[in-house]
Amino acid sequence: MIDVQHVSKHYGPIHALDDISFQIHKGTCFGLVGPNGAGKSTLMKILSGILLNFDGDIGVNDWKVSKDRTKIKQQIGYIPQEICLEETLNARDNLILFGNMYGLKGKNLQVRMDEVLEQIGLTDRKKDKVMTFSGGMKRRLNIGCALLHKPAIVIMDEPTVGIDPQSRNSIFSLIHQLKAEGSTIIYSSHYMEEVEQLCDSIGLIDKGQLMEFGRMEELLDKHGKPSLFIAGDDIGEKMLQEFGEAEAKGNGYLLNSDEPLLTLEKLVTHCREHQLEPRRLELYQPRLEDIFFNLTGTQLRDA
Amino acid sequence: MWAIARTELKKTVQDKGLWFWTFVLPIVFIVAFVAILSGEETSYKELVTQIIPGYTIMFAFFIMISMVIVFVKDKERGMVARIASTPLSTHQYFFGKWLPFMIVVLVQITVLFGFGVIVYDLPLGDPLSLILLSLALAFIVTGWGMALAVNVRTENMGIAMTQIIALGGALLGGLWMPVEFMPETVQNISKALPQYWALQGYKDIILSNGGLADIWLNLLILIVAGVAGGILALVSYPRFLRQSRS
Repeated sequence: MIDVQHVSKHYGPIHALDDISFQIHKGTCFGLVGPNGAGKSTLMKILSGILLNFDGDIGVNDWKVSKDRTKIKQQIGYIPQEICLEETLNARDNLILFGNMYGLKGKNLQVRMDEVLEQIGLTDRKKDKVMTFSGGMKRRLNIGCALLHKPAIVIMDEPTVGIDPQSRNSIFSLIHQLKAEGSTIIYSSHYMEEVEQLCDSIGLIDKGQLMEFGRMEELLDKHGKPSLFIAGDDIGEKMLQEFGEAEAKGNGYLLNSDEPLLTLEKLVTHCREHQLEPRRLELYQPRLEDIFFNLTGTQLRDA
Repeated sequence: MWAIARTELKKTVQDKGLWFWTFVLPIVFIVAFVAILSGEETSYKELVTQIIPGYTIMFAFFIMISMVIVFVKDKERGMVARIASTPLSTHQYFFGKWLPFMIVVLVQITVLFGFGVIVYDLPLGDPLSLILLSLALAFIVTGWGMALAVNVRTENMGIAMTQIIALGGALLGGLWMPVEFMPETVQNISKALPQYWALQGYKDIILSNGGLADIWLNLLILIVAGVAGGILALVSYPRFLRQSRS
């Protein structure tokens, strides 16, 4: 269990983090979501032991970051947003470098290297220099370097930025595998779909404050309004007003309703009677992005 | 710590530019200046004792450029923050980064003095004193290299600063011409420069058959200056880490 207790961080007059508290349960995937400049990276740096001076404390199992930093670091595998590899060396040498830093040596290191290379799909490229790798391969090796010492906690900061769908899927598979093995994962991203797909619980952070925190389904239930989505050339806001509160979304409208199935039925009847042909008419499942918008009034990608 | 040292050494050996700056260019300078200045009033022994240790000291300071490049690159690609997330301590990080450059400078001194012995019959004097003075020289250039590398914002700034330190120090420290030929004010400035103390130490050993008793002050000054560089690097580390991408 990771227990973040009243963590604050100031850079001069700027409050990067303001009294943040939350818990992450062992073996779960926790998504940290927020726009650029929200304080995500600062929190990730504190969690991974890079930033030393901050107010509050973080408990990891029976340890405290303030007292047992080195022990906690041994339990953490940090995957930074930047690709931190020695480009002029080969994949194997990079793994040796990071393995040694976590105290792995000899046969144990060799075995772990083989396992990790298999996991990240780079076994046949282990002797190639990193500079010859594609962006996706570098990202996978970047991850592999953090997994050698079998960390109980894996911290991933935007691990899928700038990579192809194939490598993205490969990283997702790896995360599912890590979860299945019991690792606790802290996943920071501004790609809401990824967080929804991978994480069990989330923390929404904006302007240094934790706006919301909890299990994914609970938050979706708490903040998501039952609604319908309708789009079509002859569908207008005025027409929809008799069915409920309509708001423009993308190329269609979102129709809020306490009884979405009944409203759907009425809409279908209305469309038949007036010979309207909507391109899309469906029950709308609230998304993380909507919750974020409701809480902050800001679209994540524009923030 | 050893992992970083091994990796850095591997990268250094692969860097052909470093080989040029460390070995090829100094040898070219030594050959050229011995050829130009031979036959003048100075004795041959004094000439080679001025030129070979002088250019060895000057080019030893250029290792600071390589150190700046390595540290600034580490900062810009987030490696500093990445390493800070591992159980490795700050001291271990610096030691791992420092050791390979120390080795490179020691090899450089050995090669350039070896070249002097083979080609110009450079006398070496007391071996222990020579080894200790060379260690002190390598210590100060790498200590200052770390301090500079951690404190500059960009590679260009580091290269410019190294040139000021290496060339300015060479000029004022008497590496290009004996300080005795310089005005008194410059001679006083020389005494504040490590280049002066390193060269005087080598001259004491080679020309005057000096031993440890004759160069202890030179050793002390170089080591204290090197320690000061190391401490400055350690003190500056938190800011260096903050500037690192992650």
